[in-house]
Amino acid sequence: MHQIRYFLAVSETLNLTKAAERCNVAQPSLTRAIKALETELGGELLRRERSLSHLTELGQRVLPMLRQCYETALTAKIVAASIRKGETAPLSLAISQTVALRPFTPKLRELSRALPGLQLKLLRGSVSEVAEYLKSGVAELAIAGPLGEAWSRFDAFPLFEERFHLVVSRTHRLARRTSAEFKDLAAETLLIHTRCEMVEALKSRLEANGILDTAAHQVATQEDLLALLKANLGVAIIPVGAMETNGLQRILLKSLNLARRVSVFTVAGRPRAIACATLLNMLRAADWDFDSATEPQRAH
Amino acid sequence: MTERALSDVLEAVFVRCRDLEAPLEDRLKAFTDEVRRLDPDFAATVDALVGRLAEIDAGATAPKVGEPMPRFLLPDEQGRLVRLDDLLGEGPVAIAFHRGHWCPYCRINIDALARAEGEVAAEHRHIAAIVPDRQRFAIWLKSDAKAPFPVLTDMDNGYAMSIGLAISVGDKMKHMMVSSRWDPSVSQGSDNWMLPIPATFIVGTDGIVRARFVDPDYRMRMAIEDLLAALRSAN
Repeated sequence: MHQIRYFLAVSETLNLTKAAERCNVAQPSLTRAIKALETELGGELLRRERSLSHLTELGQRVLPMLRQCYETALTAKIVAASIRKGETAPLSLAISQTVALRPFTPKLRELSRALPGLQLKLLRGSVSEVAEYLKSGVAELAIAGPLGEAWSRFDAFPLFEERFHLVVSRTHRLARRTSAEFKDLAAETLLIHTRCEMVEALKSRLEANGILDTAAHQVATQEDLLALLKANLGVAIIPVGAMETNGLQRILLKSLNLARRVSVFTVAGRPRAIACATLLNMLRAADWDFDSATEPQRAH
Repeated sequence: MTERALSDVLEAVFVRCRDLEAPLEDRLKAFTDEVRRLDPDFAATVDALVGRLAEIDAGATAPKVGEPMPRFLLPDEQGRLVRLDDLLGEGPVAIAFHRGHWCPYCRINIDALARAEGEVAAEHRHIAAIVPDRQRFAIWLKSDAKAPFPVLTDMDNGYAMSIGLAISVGDKMKHMMVSSRWDPSVSQGSDNWMLPIPATFIVGTDGIVRARFVDPDYRMRMAIEDLLAALRSAN
Protein backbone atom coordinates (compact mmCIF):
# COMPACT_ATOMS: atom_id res chain seq x y z
CA MET A 1 0.00 0.00 0.00
CA HIS A 2 2.90 2.40 0.75
CA GLN A 3 4.24 1.69 -2.74
CA ILE A 4 1.03 3.02 -4.25
CA ARG A 5 1.08 6.02 -1.92
CA TYR A 6 4.61 6.89 -3.07
CA PHE A 7 3.70 6.47 -6.71
CA LEU A 8 0.64 8.73 -6.30
CA ALA A 9 2.89 11.36 -4.69
CA VAL A 10 5.29 11.18 -7.63
CA SER A 11 2.41 11.43 -10.10
CA GLU A 12 1.30 14.63 -8.38
CA THR A 13 4.70 16.27 -7.82
CA LEU A 14 6.55 14.78 -10.85
CA ASN A 15 9.66 15.12 -8.71
CA LEU A 16 11.21 12.30 -6.71
CA THR A 17 12.73 14.58 -4.06
CA LYS A 18 9.47 16.44 -3.45
CA ALA A 19 7.49 13.17 -3.44
CA ALA A 20 9.85 11.67 -0.85
CA GLU A 21 9.48 14.79 1.31
CA ARG A 22 5.73 14.67 1.06
CA CYS A 23 5.67 10.99 2.06
CA ASN A 24 8.20 11.58 4.80
CA VAL A 25 10.66 8.93 3.57
CA ALA A 26 14.21 8.91 2.28
CA GLN A 27 14.42 9.09 -1.50
CA PRO A 28 16.15 5.68 -1.90
CA SER A 29 13.24 3.96 -0.09
CA LEU A 30 10.78 5.74 -2.35
CA THR A 31 12.72 4.71 -5.44
CA ARG A 32 12.91 1.11 -4.20
CA ALA A 33 9.17 1.01 -3.55
CA ILE A 34 8.41 2.31 -7.02
CA LYS A 35 10.76 -0.26 -8.54
CA ALA A 36 8.84 -2.99 -6.69
CA LEU A 37 5.56 -1.63 -8.03
CA GLU A 38 7.06 -1.62 -11.53
CA THR A 39 8.10 -5.24 -11.10
CA GLU A 40 4.60 -6.15 -9.95
CA LEU A 41 2.92 -4.33 -12.82
CA GLY A 42 5.44 -5.60 -15.34
CA GLY A 43 6.81 -2.37 -16.78
CA GLU A 44 8.24 1.08 -16.13
CA LEU A 45 5.88 3.59 -14.60
CA LEU A 46 8.21 6.58 -14.57
CA ARG A 47 10.78 8.14 -16.80
CA ARG A 48 13.29 9.56 -14.39
CA GLU A 49 14.97 12.79 -15.27
CA ARG A 50 17.14 15.00 -13.13
CA SER A 51 14.53 17.34 -11.72
CA LEU A 52 11.36 16.37 -13.47
CA SER A 53 10.05 12.83 -13.83
CA HIS A 54 7.05 11.97 -15.92
CA LEU A 55 4.72 9.02 -16.17
CA THR A 56 5.16 6.46 -18.93
CA GLU A 57 2.19 5.29 -20.97
CA LEU A 58 1.80 2.36 -18.54
CA GLY A 59 2.05 4.77 -15.62
CA GLN A 60 -0.74 6.92 -17.06
CA ARG A 61 -2.86 3.87 -17.75
CA VAL A 62 -2.61 2.36 -14.26
CA LEU A 63 -2.84 5.65 -12.38
CA PRO A 64 -6.66 5.73 -12.00
CA MET A 65 -6.70 2.07 -10.92
CA LEU A 66 -3.93 2.62 -8.39
CA ARG A 67 -5.62 5.73 -7.03
CA GLN A 68 -8.83 3.74 -6.55
CA CYS A 69 -6.91 0.88 -4.90
CA TYR A 70 -5.26 3.30 -2.53
CA GLU A 71 -8.59 4.84 -1.52
CA THR A 72 -10.12 1.38 -1.08
CA ALA A 73 -7.30 0.26 1.21
CA LEU A 74 -7.38 3.54 3.09
CA THR A 75 -11.12 3.06 3.66
CA ALA A 76 -10.51 -0.45 5.05
CA LYS A 77 -8.04 1.09 7.48
CA ILE A 78 -10.54 3.75 8.54
CA VAL A 79 -13.11 1.00 9.12
CA ALA A 80 -10.61 -1.07 11.15
CA ALA A 81 -9.77 1.94 13.29
CA SER A 82 -13.38 2.93 13.95
CA ILE A 83 -14.92 -0.41 14.89
CA ARG A 84 -15.87 0.34 18.47
CA LYS A 85 -19.15 -0.72 19.92
CA GLY A 86 -21.50 2.20 20.41
CA GLU A 87 -19.36 4.84 18.72
CA THR A 88 -21.53 7.25 16.70
CA ALA A 89 -21.51 6.51 12.99
CA PRO A 90 -23.15 9.28 10.94
CA LEU A 91 -24.29 8.54 7.41
CA SER A 92 -25.92 10.95 4.96
CA LEU A 93 -27.63 9.21 2.09
CA ALA A 94 -29.44 10.93 -0.78
CA ILE A 95 -32.02 8.96 -2.74
CA SER A 96 -33.72 10.03 -5.93
CA GLN A 97 -37.39 10.60 -5.20
CA THR A 98 -38.40 8.11 -7.89
CA VAL A 99 -36.44 5.30 -6.25
CA ALA A 100 -38.35 3.26 -3.69
CA LEU A 101 -36.72 2.94 -0.26
CA ARG A 102 -38.19 -0.53 0.27
CA PRO A 103 -35.39 -2.69 -1.20
CA PHE A 104 -32.83 -0.81 0.88
CA THR A 105 -34.48 -0.94 4.29
CA PRO A 106 -33.19 -4.46 5.12
CA LYS A 107 -29.65 -3.23 4.41
CA LEU A 108 -30.14 -0.18 6.62
CA ARG A 109 -31.56 -2.37 9.38
CA GLU A 110 -28.53 -4.68 9.20
CA LEU A 111 -26.17 -1.69 9.19
CA SER A 112 -27.83 -0.29 12.29
CA ARG A 113 -27.59 -3.67 14.02
CA ALA A 114 -23.85 -3.86 13.32
CA LEU A 115 -23.27 -0.17 14.07
CA PRO A 116 -25.55 0.72 16.99
CA GLY A 117 -24.21 4.29 16.84
CA LEU A 118 -25.59 4.78 13.32
CA GLN A 119 -27.09 8.22 12.79
CA LEU A 120 -28.82 8.23 9.45
CA LYS A 121 -29.62 11.39 7.52
CA LEU A 122 -31.87 10.53 4.60
CA LEU A 123 -32.24 13.09 1.82
CA ARG A 124 -34.67 13.02 -1.09
CA GLY A 125 -34.64 15.03 -4.28
CA SER A 126 -34.68 15.10 -8.05
CA VAL A 127 -31.58 13.71 -9.76
CA SER A 128 -30.05 17.14 -10.16
CA GLU A 129 -30.61 17.83 -6.46
CA VAL A 130 -29.15 14.43 -5.59
CA ALA A 131 -26.10 15.17 -7.76
CA GLU A 132 -25.72 18.51 -6.02
CA TYR A 133 -25.95 16.90 -2.55
CA LEU A 134 -23.10 14.60 -3.54
CA LYS A 135 -20.93 17.27 -5.10
CA SER A 136 -21.26 19.63 -2.16
CA GLY A 137 -20.59 16.85 0.32
CA VAL A 138 -24.01 17.14 1.98
CA ALA A 139 -24.51 13.47 1.03
CA GLU A 140 -21.77 10.81 1.19
CA LEU A 141 -23.70 8.30 -0.91
CA ALA A 142 -26.54 8.56 -3.40
CA ILE A 143 -28.90 6.03 -4.91
CA ALA A 144 -30.54 7.07 -8.19
CA GLY A 145 -31.15 6.32 -11.83
CA PRO A 146 -28.77 7.89 -14.37
CA LEU A 147 -27.50 11.19 -12.93
CA GLY A 148 -27.46 12.71 -16.41
CA GLU A 149 -24.48 14.74 -15.41
CA ALA A 150 -20.88 13.98 -16.21
CA TRP A 151 -18.49 14.82 -13.44
CA SER A 152 -15.24 12.95 -13.45
CA ARG A 153 -15.31 12.48 -9.70
CA PHE A 154 -18.63 10.60 -9.59
CA ASP A 155 -18.10 6.88 -9.10
CA ALA A 156 -21.14 4.87 -10.20
CA PHE A 157 -21.72 1.28 -9.11
CA PRO A 158 -24.73 -0.32 -10.85
CA LEU A 159 -27.14 -2.18 -8.58
CA PHE A 160 -30.12 -3.32 -10.64
CA GLU A 161 -32.36 -2.55 -13.58
CA GLU A 162 -36.02 -1.62 -13.32
CA ARG A 163 -38.32 -2.06 -16.28
CA PHE A 164 -40.97 0.52 -17.08
CA HIS A 165 -44.54 -0.73 -17.16
CA LEU A 166 -47.95 0.75 -17.70
CA VAL A 167 -49.55 1.23 -14.28
CA VAL A 168 -53.28 1.83 -13.80
CA SER A 169 -55.81 1.85 -11.00
CA ARG A 170 -57.47 -1.49 -10.19
CA THR A 171 -60.74 0.08 -11.31
CA HIS A 172 -59.39 1.18 -14.69
CA ARG A 173 -60.81 -0.34 -17.89
CA LEU A 174 -57.39 -1.83 -18.73
CA ALA A 175 -56.83 -3.28 -15.26
CA ARG A 176 -57.75 -6.82 -16.25
CA ARG A 177 -55.34 -6.88 -19.16
CA THR A 178 -51.90 -8.44 -18.80
CA SER A 179 -50.51 -6.49 -21.72
CA ALA A 180 -51.39 -3.41 -23.74
CA GLU A 181 -50.18 -1.60 -26.82
CA PHE A 182 -49.46 2.05 -27.47
CA LYS A 183 -52.74 2.43 -29.41
CA ASP A 184 -54.65 1.50 -26.24
CA LEU A 185 -53.32 4.71 -24.72
CA ALA A 186 -54.77 7.01 -27.38
CA ALA A 187 -57.80 7.88 -25.27
CA GLU A 188 -56.00 7.93 -21.93
CA THR A 189 -54.74 10.77 -19.80
CA LEU A 190 -51.09 10.21 -18.94
CA LEU A 191 -49.60 11.16 -15.60
CA ILE A 192 -46.11 12.51 -16.17
CA HIS A 193 -43.62 12.76 -13.33
CA THR A 194 -41.72 15.86 -14.45
CA ARG A 195 -38.82 15.32 -12.05
CA CYS A 196 -38.21 11.69 -12.96
CA GLU A 197 -34.66 11.11 -14.27
CA MET A 198 -36.09 9.22 -17.23
CA VAL A 199 -38.75 11.74 -18.29
CA GLU A 200 -37.01 12.75 -21.52
CA ALA A 201 -36.34 9.15 -22.53
CA LEU A 202 -39.98 8.34 -21.85
CA LYS A 203 -41.26 11.31 -23.86
CA SER A 204 -39.19 10.40 -26.88
CA ARG A 205 -40.34 6.79 -26.60
CA LEU A 206 -43.96 7.97 -26.59
CA GLU A 207 -43.42 10.22 -29.61
CA ALA A 208 -41.68 7.44 -31.49
CA ASN A 209 -44.79 5.34 -30.96
CA GLY A 210 -47.20 7.93 -32.27
CA ILE A 211 -48.33 9.35 -28.96
CA LEU A 212 -47.77 13.03 -29.57
CA ASP A 213 -50.40 15.19 -27.96
CA THR A 214 -51.97 12.96 -25.38
CA ALA A 215 -53.63 14.85 -22.61
CA ALA A 216 -51.34 14.70 -19.62
CA HIS A 217 -51.29 15.67 -15.97
CA GLN A 218 -47.97 16.70 -14.54
CA VAL A 219 -46.85 15.84 -11.05
CA ALA A 220 -43.62 16.61 -9.24
CA THR A 221 -43.52 13.94 -6.56
CA GLN A 222 -43.83 10.17 -6.51
CA GLU A 223 -46.40 10.41 -3.72
CA ASP A 224 -48.71 12.59 -5.81
CA LEU A 225 -48.25 10.37 -8.84
CA LEU A 226 -49.38 7.31 -6.88
CA ALA A 227 -52.30 9.20 -5.30
CA LEU A 228 -53.61 10.33 -8.69
CA LEU A 229 -53.09 6.86 -10.14
CA LYS A 230 -55.07 5.26 -7.33
CA ALA A 231 -57.80 7.86 -7.76
CA ASN A 232 -57.96 6.86 -11.44
CA LEU A 233 -57.20 10.33 -12.77
CA GLY A 234 -54.93 8.85 -15.37
CA VAL A 235 -52.40 6.14 -16.21
CA ALA A 236 -48.62 6.22 -15.89
CA ILE A 237 -45.57 4.58 -17.41
CA ILE A 238 -43.12 4.13 -14.58
CA PRO A 239 -40.37 1.83 -13.31
CA VAL A 240 -42.05 -0.62 -10.97
CA GLY A 241 -39.27 -3.01 -9.95
CA ALA A 242 -39.24 -2.10 -6.29
CA MET A 243 -42.34 0.09 -5.96
CA GLU A 244 -45.26 -0.37 -3.58
CA THR A 245 -48.22 -0.98 -5.92
CA ASN A 246 -51.17 -1.64 -3.58
CA GLY A 247 -54.43 -0.85 -5.36
CA LEU A 248 -52.63 -0.59 -8.69
CA GLN A 249 -52.20 -2.91 -11.62
CA ARG A 250 -49.05 -3.21 -13.67
CA ILE A 251 -49.46 -4.06 -17.33
CA LEU A 252 -46.79 -4.95 -19.87
CA LEU A 253 -46.70 -2.22 -22.52
CA LYS A 254 -45.63 -4.02 -25.68
CA SER A 255 -42.69 -2.58 -27.64
CA LEU A 256 -41.97 -0.03 -24.90
CA ASN A 257 -38.74 -1.76 -23.90
CA LEU A 258 -37.61 0.92 -21.49
CA ALA A 259 -35.61 0.31 -18.35
CA ARG A 260 -33.47 2.31 -16.04
CA ARG A 261 -30.38 1.32 -14.15
CA VAL A 262 -30.37 2.17 -10.46
CA SER A 263 -26.85 2.78 -9.17
CA VAL A 264 -25.14 3.85 -6.00
CA PHE A 265 -22.93 6.90 -6.47
CA THR A 266 -20.03 8.29 -4.49
CA VAL A 267 -17.40 10.94 -5.02
CA ALA A 268 -13.86 9.70 -5.67
CA GLY A 269 -11.10 11.10 -3.53
CA ARG A 270 -13.13 11.72 -0.38
CA PRO A 271 -12.39 9.68 2.72
CA ARG A 272 -15.30 7.38 3.56
CA ALA A 273 -16.40 6.93 7.14
CA ILE A 274 -17.30 3.50 8.48
CA ALA A 275 -21.09 3.67 7.89
CA CYS A 276 -20.73 4.98 4.35
CA ALA A 277 -17.99 2.49 3.43
CA THR A 278 -19.89 -0.45 4.90
CA LEU A 279 -23.24 0.40 3.30
CA LEU A 280 -21.52 0.87 -0.06
CA ASN A 281 -19.91 -2.57 0.26
CA MET A 282 -23.21 -4.15 1.31
CA LEU A 283 -25.09 -2.62 -1.62
CA ARG A 284 -22.45 -3.67 -4.13
CA ALA A 285 -22.03 -7.18 -2.72
CA ALA A 286 -25.76 -7.85 -2.48
CA ASP A 287 -27.65 -10.15 -4.78
CA TRP A 288 -30.56 -8.02 -5.98
CA ASP A 289 -33.63 -9.98 -6.98
CA PHE A 290 -34.03 -7.94 -10.11
CA ASP A 291 -30.30 -8.02 -10.81
CA SER A 292 -29.51 -8.82 -14.42
CA ALA A 293 -25.93 -9.94 -13.77
CA THR A 294 -24.86 -13.26 -15.18
CA GLU A 295 -25.00 -16.49 -13.23
CA PRO A 296 -21.90 -17.70 -11.40
CA GLN A 297 -19.42 -19.25 -13.77
CA ARG A 298 -19.62 -22.98 -13.68
CA ALA A 299 -17.20 -24.96 -15.73
CA HIS A 300 -18.70 -28.20 -16.99
CA MET B 1 -14.41 -29.70 -33.23
CA THR B 2 -14.85 -26.63 -31.10
CA GLU B 3 -12.01 -25.69 -28.84
CA ARG B 4 -12.85 -25.94 -25.18
CA ALA B 5 -11.65 -23.41 -22.66
CA LEU B 6 -9.00 -24.61 -20.21
CA SER B 7 -11.44 -24.10 -17.33
CA ASP B 8 -13.92 -26.52 -18.99
CA VAL B 9 -11.26 -29.12 -19.66
CA LEU B 10 -10.07 -28.88 -16.08
CA GLU B 11 -13.44 -29.31 -14.39
CA ALA B 12 -13.21 -33.12 -14.43
CA VAL B 13 -9.58 -32.89 -13.29
CA PHE B 14 -10.67 -30.62 -10.47
CA VAL B 15 -13.29 -33.11 -9.26
CA ARG B 16 -10.76 -35.93 -9.31
CA CYS B 17 -8.13 -33.90 -7.41
CA ARG B 18 -10.66 -32.60 -4.90
CA ASP B 19 -11.85 -36.12 -4.13
CA LEU B 20 -8.38 -37.70 -3.75
CA GLU B 21 -7.92 -39.41 -0.40
CA ALA B 22 -4.74 -37.45 0.26
CA PRO B 23 -3.49 -34.41 2.20
CA LEU B 24 -4.43 -30.99 0.82
CA GLU B 25 -0.95 -30.30 -0.57
CA ASP B 26 -1.01 -33.51 -2.58
CA ARG B 27 -4.43 -32.70 -4.01
CA LEU B 28 -3.27 -29.20 -4.97
CA LYS B 29 -0.09 -30.60 -6.49
CA ALA B 30 -2.02 -33.17 -8.51
CA PHE B 31 -4.05 -30.32 -9.99
CA THR B 32 -0.95 -28.18 -10.66
CA ASP B 33 0.69 -31.10 -12.47
CA GLU B 34 -2.36 -31.59 -14.69
CA VAL B 35 -2.44 -27.88 -15.63
CA ARG B 36 1.24 -28.08 -16.54
CA ARG B 37 0.63 -31.17 -18.68
CA LEU B 38 -2.49 -29.83 -20.44
CA ASP B 39 -1.37 -26.24 -20.98
CA PRO B 40 2.36 -25.63 -20.49
CA ASP B 41 1.98 -21.99 -21.67
CA PHE B 42 -0.55 -21.26 -18.96
CA ALA B 43 1.66 -22.89 -16.32
CA ALA B 44 4.66 -20.88 -17.54
CA THR B 45 2.69 -17.63 -17.24
CA VAL B 46 1.72 -18.55 -13.69
CA ASP B 47 5.37 -19.34 -12.89
CA ALA B 48 6.39 -15.94 -14.24
CA LEU B 49 3.73 -14.16 -12.16
CA VAL B 50 4.71 -16.07 -9.04
CA GLY B 51 8.39 -15.34 -9.70
CA ARG B 52 7.67 -11.63 -10.02
CA LEU B 53 5.65 -11.63 -6.80
CA ALA B 54 8.40 -13.52 -4.95
CA GLU B 55 10.98 -11.03 -6.23
CA ILE B 56 9.12 -8.13 -4.63
CA ASP B 57 8.34 -10.12 -1.49
CA ALA B 58 4.58 -9.78 -2.04
CA GLY B 59 2.64 -10.41 1.16
CA ALA B 60 5.68 -9.82 3.38
CA THR B 61 4.05 -6.88 5.16
CA ALA B 62 0.92 -8.85 6.12
CA PRO B 63 0.35 -9.27 9.89
CA LYS B 64 3.01 -11.46 11.46
CA VAL B 65 2.86 -13.89 14.37
CA GLY B 66 2.54 -11.84 17.56
CA GLU B 67 0.98 -8.85 15.80
CA PRO B 68 -2.69 -7.89 16.02
CA MET B 69 -4.93 -8.91 13.13
CA PRO B 70 -6.48 -5.67 11.80
CA ARG B 71 -10.25 -5.43 12.44
CA PHE B 72 -12.81 -5.81 9.68
CA LEU B 73 -16.55 -5.43 9.16
CA LEU B 74 -17.61 -7.38 6.07
CA PRO B 75 -20.88 -8.81 4.74
CA ASP B 76 -21.17 -12.60 4.67
CA GLU B 77 -22.81 -14.56 1.86
CA GLN B 78 -26.27 -13.78 3.30
CA GLY B 79 -25.57 -10.07 3.63
CA ARG B 80 -25.10 -10.19 7.42
CA LEU B 81 -22.31 -7.96 8.65
CA VAL B 82 -19.56 -9.85 10.45
CA ARG B 83 -16.74 -8.28 12.43
CA LEU B 84 -13.55 -10.04 13.42
CA ASP B 85 -14.46 -9.54 17.09
CA ASP B 86 -17.80 -11.35 16.60
CA LEU B 87 -15.91 -14.38 15.30
CA LEU B 88 -13.34 -14.22 18.12
CA GLY B 89 -16.17 -14.08 20.65
CA GLU B 90 -16.69 -17.79 20.02
CA GLY B 91 -13.03 -18.80 20.15
CA PRO B 92 -9.86 -18.74 18.04
CA VAL B 93 -10.44 -18.39 14.30
CA ALA B 94 -8.62 -19.30 11.11
CA ILE B 95 -9.09 -16.50 8.57
CA ALA B 96 -8.51 -17.91 5.09
CA PHE B 97 -8.29 -15.59 2.08
CA HIS B 98 -9.43 -17.04 -1.24
CA ARG B 99 -9.21 -15.74 -4.79
CA GLY B 100 -12.74 -16.51 -5.91
CA HIS B 101 -15.40 -19.08 -6.67
CA TRP B 102 -13.87 -19.64 -10.13
CA CYS B 103 -10.45 -20.72 -8.80
CA PRO B 104 -10.03 -24.53 -8.70
CA TYR B 105 -7.27 -24.30 -6.06
CA CYS B 106 -9.62 -22.30 -3.82
CA ARG B 107 -12.39 -24.81 -4.38
CA ILE B 108 -10.08 -27.67 -3.38
CA ASN B 109 -8.88 -25.64 -0.39
CA ILE B 110 -12.42 -24.74 0.76
CA ASP B 111 -13.41 -28.39 0.49
CA ALA B 112 -10.54 -29.34 2.83
CA LEU B 113 -11.39 -26.46 5.18
CA ALA B 114 -15.03 -27.57 5.33
CA ARG B 115 -13.90 -30.96 6.67
CA ALA B 116 -11.43 -29.31 9.07
CA GLU B 117 -14.20 -27.09 10.50
CA GLY B 118 -16.16 -30.27 11.30
CA GLU B 119 -13.23 -31.50 13.40
CA VAL B 120 -12.80 -28.43 15.59
CA ALA B 121 -16.21 -26.71 15.70
CA ALA B 122 -17.15 -28.64 18.87
CA GLU B 123 -13.98 -27.30 20.50
CA HIS B 124 -15.14 -23.71 19.84
CA ARG B 125 -12.56 -23.13 17.15
CA HIS B 126 -13.73 -21.93 13.77
CA ILE B 127 -12.83 -20.98 10.24
CA ALA B 128 -13.95 -18.03 8.11
CA ALA B 129 -13.18 -17.44 4.45
CA ILE B 130 -12.75 -14.06 2.77
CA VAL B 131 -13.20 -13.64 -1.00
CA PRO B 132 -13.41 -10.60 -3.30
CA ASP B 133 -16.53 -12.17 -4.89
CA ARG B 134 -19.99 -10.69 -4.44
CA GLN B 135 -22.65 -12.54 -2.45
CA ARG B 136 -24.21 -14.75 -5.11
CA PHE B 137 -20.75 -16.08 -5.98
CA ALA B 138 -19.80 -16.43 -2.31
CA ILE B 139 -22.96 -18.53 -1.84
CA TRP B 140 -21.94 -20.66 -4.77
CA LEU B 141 -18.42 -21.25 -3.39
CA LYS B 142 -19.84 -22.08 0.02
CA SER B 143 -22.43 -24.55 -1.25
CA ASP B 144 -19.99 -26.09 -3.77
CA ALA B 145 -17.93 -27.29 -0.80
CA LYS B 146 -20.85 -27.57 1.67
CA ALA B 147 -18.80 -25.27 3.88
CA PRO B 148 -20.41 -24.70 7.30
CA PHE B 149 -18.46 -21.47 7.90
CA PRO B 150 -19.14 -17.91 6.66
CA VAL B 151 -17.74 -16.73 3.34
CA LEU B 152 -17.21 -12.98 3.64
CA THR B 153 -17.15 -10.52 0.74
CA ASP B 154 -14.18 -8.13 0.59
CA MET B 155 -15.27 -5.71 -2.16
CA ASP B 156 -12.37 -4.50 -4.34
CA ASN B 157 -10.01 -6.49 -2.08
CA GLY B 158 -10.09 -3.48 0.24
CA TYR B 159 -9.29 -5.35 3.46
CA ALA B 160 -6.75 -7.60 1.73
CA MET B 161 -5.10 -4.54 0.22
CA SER B 162 -4.98 -2.71 3.52
CA ILE B 163 -2.93 -5.56 5.01
CA GLY B 164 -0.65 -5.99 2.02
CA LEU B 165 -2.29 -9.05 0.48
CA ALA B 166 -3.69 -7.74 -2.81
CA ILE B 167 -1.76 -8.18 -6.02
CA SER B 168 -2.29 -7.11 -9.61
CA VAL B 169 -2.36 -10.11 -11.98
CA GLY B 170 -0.78 -8.14 -14.85
CA ASP B 171 -1.71 -7.97 -18.54
CA LYS B 172 -0.25 -11.30 -19.64
CA MET B 173 -1.96 -13.33 -16.92
CA LYS B 174 -5.17 -11.36 -17.46
CA HIS B 175 -5.31 -12.34 -21.13
CA MET B 176 -4.50 -15.95 -20.29
CA MET B 177 -7.28 -16.01 -17.71
CA VAL B 178 -9.85 -14.43 -20.02
CA SER B 179 -9.15 -16.91 -22.82
CA SER B 180 -9.28 -19.79 -20.34
CA ARG B 181 -12.61 -18.40 -19.07
CA TRP B 182 -11.50 -17.54 -15.57
CA ASP B 183 -12.73 -13.97 -15.37
CA PRO B 184 -12.99 -12.54 -11.86
CA SER B 185 -14.33 -9.16 -13.00
CA VAL B 186 -17.95 -10.35 -13.11
CA SER B 187 -17.92 -11.95 -9.69
CA GLN B 188 -15.94 -9.06 -8.17
CA GLY B 189 -18.12 -6.37 -9.76
CA SER B 190 -14.86 -4.60 -10.61
CA ASP B 191 -12.45 -4.79 -13.50
CA ASN B 192 -9.23 -3.81 -11.77
CA TRP B 193 -7.86 -7.37 -11.97
CA MET B 194 -6.59 -7.50 -8.43
CA LEU B 195 -6.59 -10.74 -6.46
CA PRO B 196 -5.72 -11.52 -2.88
CA ILE B 197 -2.77 -13.71 -1.98
CA PRO B 198 -4.63 -16.74 -0.54
CA ALA B 199 -3.08 -16.43 2.91
CA THR B 200 -4.30 -18.00 6.17
CA PHE B 201 -4.06 -16.48 9.66
CA ILE B 202 -4.79 -18.20 12.95
CA VAL B 203 -6.03 -15.53 15.36
CA GLY B 204 -6.36 -15.97 19.12
CA THR B 205 -9.32 -14.56 21.06
CA ASP B 206 -7.14 -11.59 22.01
CA GLY B 207 -6.92 -10.68 18.31
CA ILE B 208 -3.23 -11.60 18.05
CA VAL B 209 -1.95 -13.68 15.12
CA ARG B 210 -0.72 -17.09 16.39
CA ALA B 211 0.30 -18.61 13.07
CA ARG B 212 0.20 -17.59 9.45
CA PHE B 213 0.77 -18.95 5.98
CA VAL B 214 1.53 -16.39 3.27
CA ASP B 215 2.83 -17.58 -0.09
CA PRO B 216 2.48 -15.50 -3.27
CA ASP B 217 2.28 -18.82 -5.15
CA TYR B 218 -1.49 -19.28 -5.09
CA ARG B 219 -1.09 -22.99 -5.75
CA MET B 220 0.26 -23.41 -2.23
CA ARG B 221 -2.02 -23.28 0.84
CA MET B 222 -1.63 -23.77 4.57
CA ALA B 223 -1.49 -27.49 5.37
CA ILE B 224 -4.65 -28.61 7.16
CA GLU B 225 -2.61 -30.36 9.91
CA ASP B 226 -0.72 -27.11 10.59
CA LEU B 227 -3.96 -25.13 10.61
CA LEU B 228 -5.65 -27.54 13.03
CA ALA B 229 -2.61 -27.70 15.32
CA ALA B 230 -2.37 -23.89 15.44
CA LEU B 231 -6.13 -23.51 16.03
CA ARG B 232 -6.05 -26.08 18.83
CA SER B 233 -3.07 -24.53 20.59
CA ALA B 234 -4.49 -20.99 20.31
CA ASN B 235 -6.61 -19.51 23.07
